[in-house]
Formats: sequence, C-alpha cells, structure tokens
Amino acid sequence: MIKITNLEKYYQTEEVQTIALNKLSFEVKEGEFAAIMGPSGCGKSTLLNILGLLDDPDGGSYLFNGIEVAGYNERKRAQLRKHNIGFVFQSFNLIDELSVFENVELPLIYTGVKPAERKERVHQVLEKMGIMHRRKHFPQQLSGGQQQRVAVARAVVNNPKLILADEPTGNLDSSNGNEVMDLLTELNEAGTTIIMVTHSEHDAKFSHRIIRMLDGQKVTENVLV
Amino acid sequence: MLRNYLKSARRTILKNKGVYGINIIGLSLGLASCLLILLFILDEVSYDSYHQKSEDIVRVVFKAEIGGEEISEAVVMPPVGPTLEKEFPEVLTAARLRKMNNPKLTYNNKNYGDFEFAYIDPEFLEVFDLKIIKGNNTNPLENPKAVIITEKQAERYFGTENPIGKNLSFEQWDKQFTVTAVIEEFPENSHFEFGVLASMEGYDYAKSTSWVNSDFHTYLLLKDGEQYKNLEAKLPGIMDKYMGPQIREAIGVSYSEFKDKNQVGLFLQPLTEIHLNPDFVSSGDLKPGMDIKYLYIFGAVAIFMLFIACINFMNLATAAASKRAKEVGIRKVLGSGQKQLVKQFLTESFLATIIAALLAILLVVLFLPTFNQLAGKSLQIIDLLQFSIVLTTMGLIVFVAFLAGGYPAFFLSSFKPVQVLKSRFASSGKSSLRNGLVVFQFIISAGLILATIVVYQQMAFIQNKDLGYHKDHILVIREAHLLGEQREAFKNQVLKDPRVTSISNSSFVPAGPTDISMSGVLLGGEYQRRMFIYNVDEAYIPTLGLDLVSGRNFSKEFGAERNRVVINETAARSLGFHKDPIGKTFTLDTEDGGRELNIIGLVKDFHFKSLHREIEPLILMNNPYGGLIIRINTADISTLLANIENQWQKFNIKEPFSYTFLDESFNRTYLREQKMGTILSIFTGLTIFVACMGLFGLVTFAAERRVREIGIRKVLGSSIPEIIALLSRDFIRLILISFLIAFPLGYFLMEQWLEDFAYRIEIKWWMFLLAAFLTTFIALMTIGFKSFKAASVNPIKSLRTE
Repeated sequence: MIKITNLEKYYQTEEVQTIALNKLSFEVKEGEFAAIMGPSGCGKSTLLNILGLLDDPDGGSYLFNGIEVAGYNERKRAQLRKHNIGFVFQSFNLIDELSVFENVELPLIYTGVKPAERKERVHQVLEKMGIMHRRKHFPQQLSGGQQQRVAVARAVVNNPKLILADEPTGNLDSSNGNEVMDLLTELNEAGTTIIMVTHSEHDAKFSHRIIRMLDGQKVTENVLV
Repeated sequence: MLRNYLKSARRTILKNKGVYGINIIGLSLGLASCLLILLFILDEVSYDSYHQKSEDIVRVVFKAEIGGEEISEAVVMPPVGPTLEKEFPEVLTAARLRKMNNPKLTYNNKNYGDFEFAYIDPEFLEVFDLKIIKGNNTNPLENPKAVIITEKQAERYFGTENPIGKNLSFEQWDKQFTVTAVIEEFPENSHFEFGVLASMEGYDYAKSTSWVNSDFHTYLLLKDGEQYKNLEAKLPGIMDKYMGPQIREAIGVSYSEFKDKNQVGLFLQPLTEIHLNPDFVSSGDLKPGMDIKYLYIFGAVAIFMLFIACINFMNLATAAASKRAKEVGIRKVLGSGQKQLVKQFLTESFLATIIAALLAILLVVLFLPTFNQLAGKSLQIIDLLQFSIVLTTMGLIVFVAFLAGGYPAFFLSSFKPVQVLKSRFASSGKSSLRNGLVVFQFIISAGLILATIVVYQQMAFIQNKDLGYHKDHILVIREAHLLGEQREAFKNQVLKDPRVTSISNSSFVPAGPTDISMSGVLLGGEYQRRMFIYNVDEAYIPTLGLDLVSGRNFSKEFGAERNRVVINETAARSLGFHKDPIGKTFTLDTEDGGRELNIIGLVKDFHFKSLHREIEPLILMNNPYGGLIIRINTADISTLLANIENQWQKFNIKEPFSYTFLDESFNRTYLREQKMGTILSIFTGLTIFVACMGLFGLVTFAAERRVREIGIRKVLGSSIPEIIALLSRDFIRLILISFLIAFPLGYFLMEQWLEDFAYRIEIKWWMFLLAAFLTTFIALMTIGFKSFKAASVNPIKSLRTE
C-alpha cells in the first residue's frame, strides 16, 4: 500500500541544514500494523507528515497505492488525503468550539456526505467507540481517554484505508492508553492499515512490525507476527 | 454546509468575546456614524428636489463688478422674469418672489409677527409644488388681493374657524388681503420658508420696468433644465438690449462705456444646487445654505471610522492567528480545502458585521434626537427605511464583512497544517501589514485631533477677536419703531433707570437681524462704488463703543446734521482720503440727483458684518429711525428687563415686548461653525476610541505572545517599568511614524478650511505638539494599562504555564 524509496527531507535554517530523513526506504502492505520507533529528533514525525501527505519530501519516491505522490501539489494531496487517510494525534487535536458529534462529523462534511447519512455514520462510530452518550459534550468536558476516543472516531468515520497515529497514547494513563490501543487493533483487524509512531515499547507490541529509526535512517526492522 | 459555518462562527464569536467585543463595538460605532452621517448628507442633498419639476427649474442671479466692488445677489430686477419668458421659447414659465421683511398682520384686532411673508406671481404655483389643502386649488392668486397661508399660520390666526374668505390686514403697508387657500408647510429641505404668500398682482413694484434695482427672486421653468447653460449664454444679449438704455439714463454714460470698466451679468443656478452652494451669491439667499465642504468632511470622517473598525478586525484576527492556527491545521488535515476555510472565516466576519449593523441601527435610533439637536435637523427614524439607506446599509455590511474578514480569511486559511500542528505555532509578532494598518489608524486619529484643535482655536479666535465694538451688555429692541411718536418718550423713561448707560436710536446692528442699506458714491462727479449706509444718531458711537479716530461725533448742538457723515477707515481708503478725511466731501448717488456729504468724523474699522467677510466701506449718517440699541451696566438682567417691559406695556401698543442681546446674535452668526465643530469633535472622539480599542486588543495579544519572554526577563531582574517600555515601544514608534504623514496632511486640509474666514488664525507649531501629545498620551494610556498587567504577573506563574 505504501512504498517509499530513498526518501529525503531537509530543514534549512539560516545557517544550518538539518537532515531529517536520509534516503529512507521501506514498505507497508495493505492491512499491516506498523510501529515506528526511535529517539526524539530521529525523523519519525517528519516521516509521518510525509506519509500523511501533509508535507512534501525533498527527494526520493513515495508510492501510495501504486501512484507516485511525491510531486503532488497541496490541492491534490488534500484531495487524496481526505478520502484515504485518518489521523490520530498525541494531543488529540479536537476543535474546542465543536461538540463531540460535530468534531467527528467534520471529515464527512469535507468529503461532501449528505447530512442524514452523516448523522447515521457518526452515530455508528460513536456507538462503536462507546462515547455515544457524550456526543453533545465539548472536548474540554471530557477526560483524556475520552478525547482520544473521539479523535479515533473522527479518524475512522470516513472509512480511511490508512490510519496514521502519532504517539496516540502519549498523553494518556496506562488504562486509557490500553483502551486506545485495543481500539486501533480492532480497526486493524477489520482491515485498516495502521502506521503508528510511538516511544512506548508496550504500545509497539500491539503492531505487526517495528521499524526503528535513528538520524533519519532505518536501523532495524523487527517483525513481531 | 452554511449551517455548519454559521454554527461554528457563532461559537467562535461567543468563545472569543474580548476580540469580537472590540470588533463588534468598533464596527457598530463605525456603521452607526456612517448611517447618521448618511442621513444628514441625504437630507442636505435632497434640498428642493421634492418639487416635481425641480430638475427643470433654475434661479436667475445677478453678478457684477462695479468700481472694484464685487456684487452677487440672489435677487434680480423686476422685469427680468417676464422678459426672459417673452424672449426665449425654452423658458416655459417665469415666477418671481419678492420677500418683505418684518411683516406684521392684524386679524380680529390682534397683531401677529414672527412669520415670513412674500409676494409671488400666480405662476409660482405652476412652477413649484405647493400643496393646497383647502380653498381654491386652481388659481388662488388670480385676485390682486388674494393671499395664501400655511396650515400653521391658519391655525394661529383662525383656530378652528374656516380661514377661506377671511381678511388679513397689513397696516404697515396699508393693505388688506383675503385668504383664498391654505397650503401645507414648506418642508424643511426647501430653501423657501414662508407662512404667508400674497399675490404679486397687487404689488405695484412688480410692474416696474427698472433694470437698475434688484429685489426679486426669479425662477424659470425650462423646457429642459439640463440645457440651462445654453440659455445662460444668451443672457448678455438681454442685458445689452434692456439694461443698456437705462444705464445711460441713470449714470450718464453709455452702456458700452460702462462695460469697459465694469462687469454686469445675469446667471442661472439650478434649483437643486442652491442649498449646497451658499457662496454662489453673497447676499439675498432666502435660507442659509450648507457649505458642501462640511458634507465632504463628515463623509470622510464616517468612512475613516469604518476603515478603522475594519482595520481592528483585520489586525485582531491576524494577531489572534496563533489561537486559530490549531483549528485551521486540524480542519485541513481532515480534508478541508482553503476555499472552505475562507468561506468559514468570511461567515464569521459576516455574522459579526450583521450583529454590528443591528447594534448600529439601535445606536442610531437612540442617538438620533441628540444628533438632530447638534446638527439642527429634524431627521426621523423612519428615514432609515428609505430605499437608498436600506440599500447602502446592506452594501456596507457586505463591503465591511469582505474588507474586514477578507484578509484574515486568506491569511489564516493559508497556514500549513504541519507547521501549526506539530511545532508550536509562532504567530509572527512582526507583521508589516499590521504595522502599516496601525500607522494608518493613527494618521487618521492624529489628523482628526489636529483638525479639532484648529477648529476650536478658530472659534475661540472669533469669540475673542477685537470686533471694534462692544457686543456684551447690549440690548436690541428692533420693534421699537412700533412705538411711533412715543418712541422718544419710551426711550427717556428707560434712560431714567441707572442700570442703563445709553440708548441709541438705530435699526442698524453689527450682528443679528439688521436693516441694510447701500448707496452708490460719486467723487468729483465720477461713480466710485456702492457703500454701506448706517442710519444712526449721536448716541450710536458711544453706545456700541466705536473708536472715533479723528474728527467728531454727531451732536445735537449742530442741529440735524443731515449732510454730515462719519465714515470708517476702509471707506476713507476707498475714497482716497488716506491721511485726513475730515472736512472732505463726496456725493451720495440718490434718486433726486445726488447729495453732497461732508465728512466730520472717522471711526476705526469695526466688524459690522460676519468675520467671514472683509470689512467694507461704511458711512454713518445722522438719520435716526427704527429700533433702539440699549447699553446696560448690570448683571441683574432679569429685573432690568422686567422694568423695561413694564415701560413698554405702559405705552399700550398691541405689540408684545421683544428684544435680543447683541452677543447672542453674534454667536448665532457662527452657529453653523460651532455646530459643525461640535459634531466633528464628537466623531473625532469616537474614531479615536475605536482606534484605541484596536490598539488595546493588539497589546493584549502582544502581551500574551510574550508572556514567557516577560517571565524570563523578570527572573533576570527586569523591572515593571522596563517591561511596560518593552511592550509599548513598538506601538509608540508606529504612532510617531503616523505623525509624519498626519501632520502635513492635516495642515494642508485645515488651511483650506481656514481660507473661508476673512479673519483667521495661523496654524502654529504648538498645535501639532498638542495633537502629538494628546495622541501619544491616549495611546499610552491604552497600552500602559494592559502592559502593566502583563508586567505585574508573577514570573513563576507565566513560566509554569509554558
């Protein structure tokens, strides 16, 4: 599903050029659950941004479902993104001004789903995540675990083929963290490809494969399953 | 989708009450000012356009330059109207109006004054829309003794009686008229303001064929009003044909010879332009006009204010960007395109603008009565429903929403999600556009402050100018002529009161209602120019406190002194008697062939006309008649007035006692400037208030953004004043830059305004300094409050929240 080859990304400040990704290559198959690990500053988040079509690589190739997307402009990336990719962030990134229902509904609005269908699908996914009773609440009225569940619900409501999770349990206690990991595992079992960046060995064990990075390069790859 | 935008917008506004409070209050003040000023301007430009044929009506005016004297009058000679109608087929109808001053009428043994009276041609009713509500509505002025009156006057004289067929007598002119019709009042936006209109058929002067005397307001109904310039081009021919022969008769030189040295001509002025061009003629206007300059000034102020409010919106939205950045990032990650975000932000600005517009309408409704008082208008709330106002309001909402919301919408929606989500969004503290907009706001604020200072200085200058006469403690009883033979007795009675210093018998006063008289002056048989004549008595100079430079005042010792005059310095210069005019003679052009006058005294120039005009030549003649001018020496005015009134009653005339104070009349001369000055200062205040609200918002954001920096600096030992200076410095720099543009611009514009005054102040350096000080002070107060709060926070707290 995803194949990157010799992917490069530089950050340029006034005087120093930092290499974030240094000729990185790997592949993630459809239906796989991959974890990316590594110390701070190794390029994990940069990688996730490029995989999520939020950012553009400076070199190399990125095949998404067999299509080269490395040179895509912002508009084309956004188009591809909203139909295929769901995001889960460490800090949840819910919109404070919108209720739980409205936050989850947002991707459906942007993909042009009709209101009646939106309501049905949001209810379905909220039910599934066990937060239906909280649908009228606003993010700040929820616990961290509940917020992350809303974020996951929002990530999956559009039935994306790929979910990118950036330290999804980083701001949660262990029991809430485990719940979120269980959710992700369920989604993966239902067929969604998941790529997760994490610092937690515990969380990484939920995945099929761990890709370890250092200084923008892949150092090892452990297949767990 | 729209519902979603609206919902989101509503919540954003509710959540950011501070920012949107500033935005909405600013916008509503701006919009309310725009609406008020729009109402004002629409009313001003609507003058006389209510007549159905207003587009095709022109007024004939007379302009000339004779002997170096410029004359321009709204009145023309009696035969002009009928002649033009006869000579030119494009003139459909000519209608004349002859205004009579100080009319008094008697009905049922009761005297009435205090109304406006004129004779009008019967055709007047064809040209203008006078709505007849009672009586003969086909041709009410056919009969030479016919008079038509307005509803109010009808009620005043007749109460509930039917006025039609009743007789009104005017003893002063020995005339009696019969009411043939009642008309509606003239609307306020008319340059006519009459209560009683009599038929011109019964007025003999109207049949005069003289092309030398001007007294008639003359209006022409044209086939095509737009072509009036074509007709105007043919008017010199008419002057040659009709005025020419009479000139030779009147002054003894041929018309062509006369025209070599002088210019005379008739000109046309479209009816709807009369009100806004008060300078088109210098005398004879029926109602004071409105200088169109004020409309431009107010219009500009309203637009400035709206711009400032829009700038607040833009600046605060972009300054608040760091708060909104996360939301933009998430929405983009979730698939929103830039277009959708732009729409969302525009929805917010639309919603805010609509709320502001509703508030603005409320403000207008609340403050319209106050505004009316200030502006001397009677605008109605219902006027807001005029099509043009409704349309403009809607247009303004769209315009403001796009202007204010457009830039932030594109700015905010262009954020890259990666940057704003992952890294802390570093809202650019320095935005050159934002700085530019702040400078613009303060150019306007500082400019308006400067303008207000100049206006107030000029007003104070006029108030305190040495007028050459005493305006205080002078009581004018213009109606004293009604005492007739008994006037002298009344005068002597009043003089017995020790609180009365002196009394002069004259109807000529330097301010307020006065008689006006002008005559041509000849020197050595040669026509010079016209000069003002004041008919006074020997008490006039001491009563008004005029300064006798040389020679002597009139005196009873020398008898009637009918052919002796006192002149002012300008008259002396004009006659060429620079050194010593005393004992010199000149000739007054009179109908019986001229009168030789001997100069016995010279008075220092005094402002016997408003300060808008240069002092002109003046001749004082010993010919007392008319009213009384009383100089008093007490502060206890009410009992003195009661005493004088008591005396008045004793003479048992039907006329009620009425008086004016000279200083009050003087102030009324500048009422327009004063009112305009007050309105200007109010709008200036509001504009500065709105600008400061924006500044307050910006400082708030700057303080928030730099809360960590402030904390670190304080830990390192920085004092509170140093922090305040740090936060204020950037804004103060912008304000100083704004002075560089505001002051030259303000100087240029205020010079233009001052040019209207013949006697005016110079714009001095300290006015700029004061304006700069005030602007900086107000801005510092605004910034200082917030900066102090930010600087006073315990650094531990601000660092922990990081």
